[in-house]
Amino acid sequence: MRILKILIRRTKLYVTGAVVTSMLSNISQMVYMLYVGELVNRIEERTGIDKTLIIILGCFLITNAVTVYLKHYFGRYAAEKMAHTLRMGYIGNLLKYKKKTDTGAVMSQVQNELSHADEYLSNTFFDITDLLLTGVLVFFFLIFQNVVLTLVIFIPTVLILLYVKWSSRRLSGIVLKALDAKEKMNRVSYSLVHAFPAVKVYNGDEMCIDTYEKSLNSWGEQEADMERLNALYNSLSGILSRVPLLLLLTVGGYMVLKGNIMLGTLIVFLNMQNTLKQTIMNLPSWISGFKVFVTNLDKIQNIEV
Amino acid sequence: MIELKEVTFSYDNKKIISDLTLSIKKGEKIGIMGESGCGKSTLLRLMAGLYRADQGTVTVDGESEPEKISGKVSVVMQSPMLLPLSIYDNITMGHEYSSEQVEKVVKMARLSSWVDTLPEGIQTYLGDRADELSGGQAQRIAIARAMCKDSEVLLLDEPASALDSENSRSVLDAIMEYATDKTVVHVTHQLKHLDGYDRIYVLKDGVLQ
Repeated sequence: MRILKILIRRTKLYVTGAVVTSMLSNISQMVYMLYVGELVNRIEERTGIDKTLIIILGCFLITNAVTVYLKHYFGRYAAEKMAHTLRMGYIGNLLKYKKKTDTGAVMSQVQNELSHADEYLSNTFFDITDLLLTGVLVFFFLIFQNVVLTLVIFIPTVLILLYVKWSSRRLSGIVLKALDAKEKMNRVSYSLVHAFPAVKVYNGDEMCIDTYEKSLNSWGEQEADMERLNALYNSLSGILSRVPLLLLLTVGGYMVLKGNIMLGTLIVFLNMQNTLKQTIMNLPSWISGFKVFVTNLDKIQNIEV
Repeated sequence: MIELKEVTFSYDNKKIISDLTLSIKKGEKIGIMGESGCGKSTLLRLMAGLYRADQGTVTVDGESEPEKISGKVSVVMQSPMLLPLSIYDNITMGHEYSSEQVEKVVKMARLSSWVDTLPEGIQTYLGDRADELSGGQAQRIAIARAMCKDSEVLLLDEPASALDSENSRSVLDAIMEYATDKTVVHVTHQLKHLDGYDRIYVLKDGVLQ
């Protein structure tokens, strides 16, 4: 983590720029959505749409487009600057100790870690930071709009996430078994080639064919099991992923009919629910990717020169 | 018992065995020495029916077709050539033998003390354990396999070359104890392994000297 802090400190201007523009683009998007909701409400109430509302909508749309451009500009620049600072910092450190160390050996020790960290910084770090920031802001924005509807999206999504975690753990067990069976089958065929003289002299053909067929069948069964479970879990999670939207439509529609919320609020929720859902669903993979990145940085930091 | 008449064998356009003639009587113990790559193993494989001679004939116990020769001999190679099966299957190679016979060869190959310590004994699956076996244990399984087939002709291709001196002595003693009345051809580059053999040849430039 120390290296990450140093990198952020050395590129603070660009990092701050990226974070601020990301927040601004999200805020402008949310305010724009609020005004879209307002537009829908006015149409529903037949109170008429004035010019000011259309101008405000246009302004926020333009603001959003500009901030998205700036966000990408600052994000990309900050990412490249951080990756460059990491590479140069590392090389500089090696050169400093070049007289008392075998730089080639040291370099090769963390070659993979360096390129992974470099790639993560360049391609992933700011995209994930942006998406995470968007998710958090959208969550609070929606909570502020309506607690019940936010929970209608949030709770089922968390349950789906837990289901996905559980099913992928079960699937990974089956995948390991299938890989094991495949490895066994390959080992059998390799052994048959290697031990062919013994098989010929001792007339072991029948036993070998039998062994190979057994290992082939075992692998086939494991593969079939894996594919069956894969199809089952994936189709189930495909259906479950629609549940939050379905619940939102049901509960939200009921609240609109009862007069508890305006139609515009429901429209806002329908537009923003996917952002919140994606953030929650992707959070575990972002965390694990970030952990790998930090581990790589720690390895680079702890290398002995 | 074994007759090689004017046998010539080439590999990759290189003559390995050249016009070789050799006659081995039943019960004889023959040693063949030579430098690495001189063709000792090739000669043994010709006798085992694993290769077909380009010219000349190889006859073992009246058979001259390689496929039939293979059925007449037992071979122990430098590498034990184990399969990912149980110890039992590696010894019997899928053939029906009485449990007494298998037990006997396990004892003769000096495997019993190790096999008895295994939780599943002789039925222990070697697939995942093959790497854990010592060279001596693996080679003893190969010897037990040869003993189980109990052919009149035993062909040995440096069976102890990859073993330490203690293990190699033990393995060779086990073979000689079993093969007192068998015809043995032992290919090696170590003269000390041929103690007590009837004839010892040196293979050089494809010719026996």
